[in-house]
Amino acid sequence: MKLTYKFVQGILLGFLLFLVACSDKTEIVDPPPAYTPTPYELEIPYAFPTKLNIPGDNPLTVEGVELGRYLFYDGRLSGRTHPDSLMSCSSCHIQENNFEPGVDHPVFEGGFVHGLSGQQTHHVVLPLVNLVWNSSGYGWNGSFYNNNENPNQRQIEDIVTLSVIAPDEMYGDTSRVKALFQSLDGYPELFYKAFGSDQITFKNMARAIAQFVRTLVSADAKIDRYLRGEEQLTQSELNGFILFTTEEGADCFHCHGGFGNPLFTTHLFYNNGKDTIFDDPLDRFAVTGDPMHKGAYKAPTLRNISLSGPYMHDGRFATLDEVIDFYSHDVKWSDQVDPLMHHVLRGGVQLTPSEKADVKAFITTLHDEKFLNNPAYSRPEKFPDQN
Amino acid sequence: MPIMTVLLFFAFASCQKRNTTEESFGETAFHINHLIDNEELKTDALIYTNAAGNRYMVTEIQWFITNVRLVAEDGTEHIVSNQDEESVFYIDTDIPESMTINTGQKFPAGEYAGVKFTFGFDKAENQSHRFVNPPQSYMFWPIYLGGGYHYMKLNGKWINQQGKTEPFNFHLGIGQEYYDESKTNGALYNFGRSDSYEHCSGYQPPSVLPPVMGFIHNYFTVELNHPFTIGQDQTSSLELLMHIEQWFKAKRIYDHDEWGGAIMQQQDAMEIGIQNGPMVFELRNGK
Repeated sequence: MKLTYKFVQGILLGFLLFLVACSDKTEIVDPPPAYTPTPYELEIPYAFPTKLNIPGDNPLTVEGVELGRYLFYDGRLSGRTHPDSLMSCSSCHIQENNFEPGVDHPVFEGGFVHGLSGQQTHHVVLPLVNLVWNSSGYGWNGSFYNNNENPNQRQIEDIVTLSVIAPDEMYGDTSRVKALFQSLDGYPELFYKAFGSDQITFKNMARAIAQFVRTLVSADAKIDRYLRGEEQLTQSELNGFILFTTEEGADCFHCHGGFGNPLFTTHLFYNNGKDTIFDDPLDRFAVTGDPMHKGAYKAPTLRNISLSGPYMHDGRFATLDEVIDFYSHDVKWSDQVDPLMHHVLRGGVQLTPSEKADVKAFITTLHDEKFLNNPAYSRPEKFPDQN
Repeated sequence: MPIMTVLLFFAFASCQKRNTTEESFGETAFHINHLIDNEELKTDALIYTNAAGNRYMVTEIQWFITNVRLVAEDGTEHIVSNQDEESVFYIDTDIPESMTINTGQKFPAGEYAGVKFTFGFDKAENQSHRFVNPPQSYMFWPIYLGGGYHYMKLNGKWINQQGKTEPFNFHLGIGQEYYDESKTNGALYNFGRSDSYEHCSGYQPPSVLPPVMGFIHNYFTVELNHPFTIGQDQTSSLELLMHIEQWFKAKRIYDHDEWGGAIMQQQDAMEIGIQNGPMVFELRNGK
């Protein structure tokens, strides 16, 4: 009996030790923590918003932004390697042209873009400037917005995906694209550093590009230095500033910002009186269903606007002078014209030639050379596979 | 006898404690509503007629109230603060969540005589760049016109004398005193309330606009005497109503045909809004 008791006691003790050992073993076999990327500190410029539009599942990291920059510029993002079929974000979003094609683009004549299928984009390209502060919807009609019921139409990540597959852009296939990049030396390692896995997914490709795009910040134009008290404007620029921000002047500020809104846009949507008939299937009405939003489009930022032609959603104006002339004399009445266009029955704000020159001089102070030449935003000298 | 004395002492002590130190609290929730002729506003509907006979519609209203206070029956004022511990509230017909002010703040339970607030911002509160985030930042008032923020943007359209639908921007904020040669025999003068703006010191105004000589802070206080009760551990629901038509008639008739589409640089027009403003609002018990 004693022996039996000791035997049972021994069995129990052994079982207990086994359990303890097992539980220890369970902890040991836990996978090691994945590579932890370095948070990217985005500096908030003077008077800029502190609220950033960054999705919770894609925080900015140094490694993600670096990878995103490579992908943004790598023509193989189209999923093809033949020199005639290369296309990337940078094919249309050119840094020295405010991340737009520019009216003097060698391929896209007049700044009108077409994709690898030959199909032209429905609207002209918008600039990639200060988008981390845009919470009102992306695109001319704002069809990509944060709380969209369609989870594939919310963020910059979703626009990247659309850009890769759309016939009027890269006309690619996301499976083929990710397989191609998986085969390129150097990229899998960068994906591991950015996302903790060297198995490339297209979702992570879109995330990386979106991270890079969110770092594109323009905040050191002459107007910024003036508002910070570092530089004075010329007399003509000052006159233009006052005209820009007064209702009896050019009255630009309600939609395009100013001293209290240095983004120089509200990112909101307005019918600015360009037309009287509205038949564009992709205007703001297409998103909201509100008939009063027919013919309404985003008021784009005016930062570096002198490089952003052609102007308006359809690129109808080639030069800034044409735009200023339009707002002075050619604004058209319709039921849908925005109430902020209160000069509409006079055809516009009726600027004199010298006032037009002053407004243009002021708008030119929004030109940010530092942004246009920032090496952190520029094309890498070499891609990860040394190509 | 000594036992009775001790018991009585404790009985009195406990009564006194209950009567003097057990204060109870409750909350308030303001629900904002915009009315025209006592009916809920229908935006973009050209169905209203103001006291001047203008047929009009309203597209959107965006406005600030500040320094909001609950006035207790004994005259004590309790300030209502937002999450940033500031008594500043932005209301926007395009943003449904802005139409309710419920801060979760505790106020002494009891009887209240009404509510007071500042429409817009007083001079000390109306500082440029105090809001850097939208939508409040989009309300900035140009620095040349006085800076700070719009107190209100009330945008819409009316049918003018020519029978055309014309936009109006009934915007209230800091007004300006312009140089008037006829009043001064050509000499520059100062109204004694000028806030100089160094950025614009070199500015030569366009031909249509004489120089700004001073600024006028157009904010006003609204006092709404309407009794309500805050119950212990309860949320007292209040309705804050804006009777839009009163902007155009409460004391003085405002005629869109007279003032046109934009008034940020017309102090005389804004002055009518300021005189009518205190009668625009009403407080009711919530449903």
